[in-house]
Amino acid sequence: MAIAPGTPLPQRRLFLLPTRFGLGWAVLVLLLLLFGINYQNSLAFALAFWLFAVAVVALLRTWRNLLGLRATLRLPAETFAGGEARLGVTLEGGRPRHVVEVHAPGASASVSLPEGRGEAFLSLPAPRRGEPPLPLLRLESAWPLGLVRAVAWLEADERLLVYPRPRPDELPEHRLAGAGLEATDFAGLRRAEPGDSPARLAWKQWSRTGVLAAKAFSVPPRQQLWLDYDACRGDPETRLSTLCARVLAHHQAGDRYGLRLPGLTLPQGEGAAQRREALAALARFPGHPAEGPGAAS
Amino acid sequence: MRRRQATPAVLADGRALGAAMLRRLFIGQCLVLALHLAFMPAWLAGLAALVAGYRALQLRRRLPRAGVVLRLAGVAALTAGLWLQYGTLGRMEAMIGLLLGVYLLKLLETHTRRDARVVVLIGLVATTVAFLHDQGIPVALGALLAVAWLLHSLVCLAGASDARLAWRESAWLLGLSAPLMVLLFLAFPRFGPLWNLPQAERAATGLSDEIAPGDIAELSRSDRRAFRARFLGDAPAPAERYWRVYTLSDFDGERWRRATAARLGLGRGALAAEGRRSPWPPSGEPRFEAELLLEPDSRPWRPSLGAPLASDERLRWLADGTVEGLSPLASRSLLRLSSSGQAPGWPDPLGARWHTRLPEEGNPRSRALAERLWRETGGAPRAYLEALMARFGEAPFRYTLTPPRLTSRDRVDEFLFESRAGYCTHYASAMAVLARAAGLPARIVAGFLGGERHPDGHFTVRDYDAHAWVEVWLDGGWQRLDPTAAIAPERIEQGAGAIEDGGEAFLADSGFSPLRMREIGWVNRLRLGWERMEYRWQREVIGYRDQARTALMARLVERLHAFWETLLGALPGRGPLGWLAGLAIAAGLLAGLGGGLALAWRARREGRDEALRIRRLQAWLARRGLPPREGESPAAHLRRLAEAAGPAGPALRDCAHQLERLRYAPLAAAERRERRRVLGRRVAEVRRRLPRHRAGG
Repeated sequence: MAIAPGTPLPQRRLFLLPTRFGLGWAVLVLLLLLFGINYQNSLAFALAFWLFAVAVVALLRTWRNLLGLRATLRLPAETFAGGEARLGVTLEGGRPRHVVEVHAPGASASVSLPEGRGEAFLSLPAPRRGEPPLPLLRLESAWPLGLVRAVAWLEADERLLVYPRPRPDELPEHRLAGAGLEATDFAGLRRAEPGDSPARLAWKQWSRTGVLAAKAFSVPPRQQLWLDYDACRGDPETRLSTLCARVLAHHQAGDRYGLRLPGLTLPQGEGAAQRREALAALARFPGHPAEGPGAAS
Repeated sequence: MRRRQATPAVLADGRALGAAMLRRLFIGQCLVLALHLAFMPAWLAGLAALVAGYRALQLRRRLPRAGVVLRLAGVAALTAGLWLQYGTLGRMEAMIGLLLGVYLLKLLETHTRRDARVVVLIGLVATTVAFLHDQGIPVALGALLAVAWLLHSLVCLAGASDARLAWRESAWLLGLSAPLMVLLFLAFPRFGPLWNLPQAERAATGLSDEIAPGDIAELSRSDRRAFRARFLGDAPAPAERYWRVYTLSDFDGERWRRATAARLGLGRGALAAEGRRSPWPPSGEPRFEAELLLEPDSRPWRPSLGAPLASDERLRWLADGTVEGLSPLASRSLLRLSSSGQAPGWPDPLGARWHTRLPEEGNPRSRALAERLWRETGGAPRAYLEALMARFGEAPFRYTLTPPRLTSRDRVDEFLFESRAGYCTHYASAMAVLARAAGLPARIVAGFLGGERHPDGHFTVRDYDAHAWVEVWLDGGWQRLDPTAAIAPERIEQGAGAIEDGGEAFLADSGFSPLRMREIGWVNRLRLGWERMEYRWQREVIGYRDQARTALMARLVERLHAFWETLLGALPGRGPLGWLAGLAIAAGLLAGLGGGLALAWRARREGRDEALRIRRLQAWLARRGLPPREGESPAAHLRRLAEAAGPAGPALRDCAHQLERLRYAPLAAAERRERRRVLGRRVAEVRRRLPRHRAGG
């Protein structure tokens, strides 16, 4: 019954349901018809028929508003448990479409496509760590009168990746010891690149020359450390939260770190890729069967 | 709307209505109310302004919403106002007022999208109710405007981003649905009322059913339309347009009244019978067949030219040769009536004595005059009546719409011997009294004379065409005698507007009337054009009832039948052979049509689905002994064949290439279409160029 992302919405997968207002409209038409019959009033007949015909046309236009629409999904960059997964739904329809709603359990968004193309963002609640499947998305439109609702379902194979919630009170304990190393082994300046830690940017040189540079070190000044599951305290989820907070803190500090989990060891590394891999490993860590993002809402 | 609407109709939370939307609802209310205001108390407009003002203030100053107390107080004030206005809430007008008031007050508690939609629905009901007052062209246009505005509001409520978009969408909705509306309007069966509903009361205007010479000529002061008529066949000459409505035979010395069965204490059926034809002895051939478009009135009178004979609906046929409807008319309606064009030829069941009755005393000078004239004419009724008519034609009698008032008890004496000035009522009354004094049965007929003939042939009869004349029983039949014809022939030939004397009373109550400007050519043309359009609207749209529908459907069936006949006529030869040939041709046509459709459908599908096209090409190749091998992809199959296909080789290779591009390359829609077209051409080329006689592969 649902369609996959990327395929144009076919008519077999598009359903029309009357709204409560639509039922009210039907009662109104019937009322006006009875009025016309009982008072033998031609204009009342005409108006009753016109409102009926308007409803028929509105039904077709509602249907046409969704027909052939193609939805593609853009997964959120990163999501931490307890936060929201911002899912982008790109809609393409060839011709202008109006007020298309996208619904998921616990989230909905509405978008108009005056140029035939637009994107809606769904803030899916993500209460738990894990790799839940994407929920069934519902595309709806009641344009232009709200008499009927065209409904289609969108089902994607992809999964969300929800990282553990970082423990807010967790400070990396090696931070103080590592601070001294950086200043001593200063080796010179290199051109700054996106992704350089702010702590290593040469702000003074920047103010003097206008060129943003970063301090370079001949000897890796960073701590080389292992984040170990077994060294943490508490139940598995608490440990994962602790590790998550540490990964974030060490990445920010520019440290080189590795991750040891039962059954998985991530070699030491640094940078955005290392951070991503570490967080993904934490998210995928077995033990806590994560449910769908909307299940707890 | 001139200005593009910047503020959204619905606030960010998706529920609460913004000021723009409330303004839109208010304008819709004003448009609906405008349809009613001519018929409803004007303070409803004040109520609308009050409610809108409150809401505006509340939105601007962030006042709290209207509480239950305020809303209840509003409803109570509305009810009290309507009670004071009408004295009851049971009358139709009071109920309409209640509906309108609730519609206006609803704005007080309109906060969400759902509330707004309810307001729009009530507005549509109120628009329909306006058709109870009137169904003319102006009201219809106003209702169209109101409905368009209400639809526009609904589109805005559905989330339209700006007003122009909403207008475009409403225009689409109205325009696309109009043909279906017309079709339903024409085809939907019309039947009688399912149950009785309260009707709006109609003032009893126009022709009165009792007259007294000396009263003010009220009707000549009004240009209200009484009815319109169209003749199927010949139209009567001006001197024949005597529309009979009532006969007045009960004279008390001062007033003439109708002799109804109820007043005389007779049974209901004594003087009337219901049916579609007149039960009374026929008095001549049906001469005129008129289609009357009657105005609503509280009394069920129906006009007829001479004695009425038959109609298309059930009527009450009275013994005096007049006819009544079974109920008063709440709205304009059509009636077909055939009539004889002359006074009825059967005696009234009330008898000759009733029609010669005069009060025991009174009007002594008139009686003396009658006696003298009767003697002078030698007791011959015809000569006596001619002498009377001749007497009225002489000075010092004059015709005027502003005669001196008659105040004495002997009004006929006062008129005949003192004032000698008056209009039709005076002359008819005097004539009838003088005839009765000589023992001739006589009665007064009240009705209309004349009517304005429009260029398209229909007649409009107005209040100022009201007239009274006399019928006398003579030679075994009632004879029409119009003393006004003797004194003021121009009244008969040219209508009431032609009377010079006392002309200031003509249309005195009508204020600004286009009828006053009949002398100015373009104004008159404009007026006639408008009246013609209005007449056609009333007759063909508003009067579209069951009979018109049946007639239309019958005509449609007839046309279809005629078309079928011409089709049959075009067949080569008749008889069984002709039929067979016809059947064969029809079957051939059908098969051709089906085949063409199938081909078109297939081409359409192939045009959209390259895989299908390639599969068909592969099947075609397989039939020529070039099937794909086990597990070979379509592109590989085509490429393999291309090696040995000679002239078809490049085309086959290109097919494979295009197929792969279409399958795997990320293409824009336009490019995709283009490539599909190229693929179609290449496939056709393969089929053309592939060598015919090839052994299996």
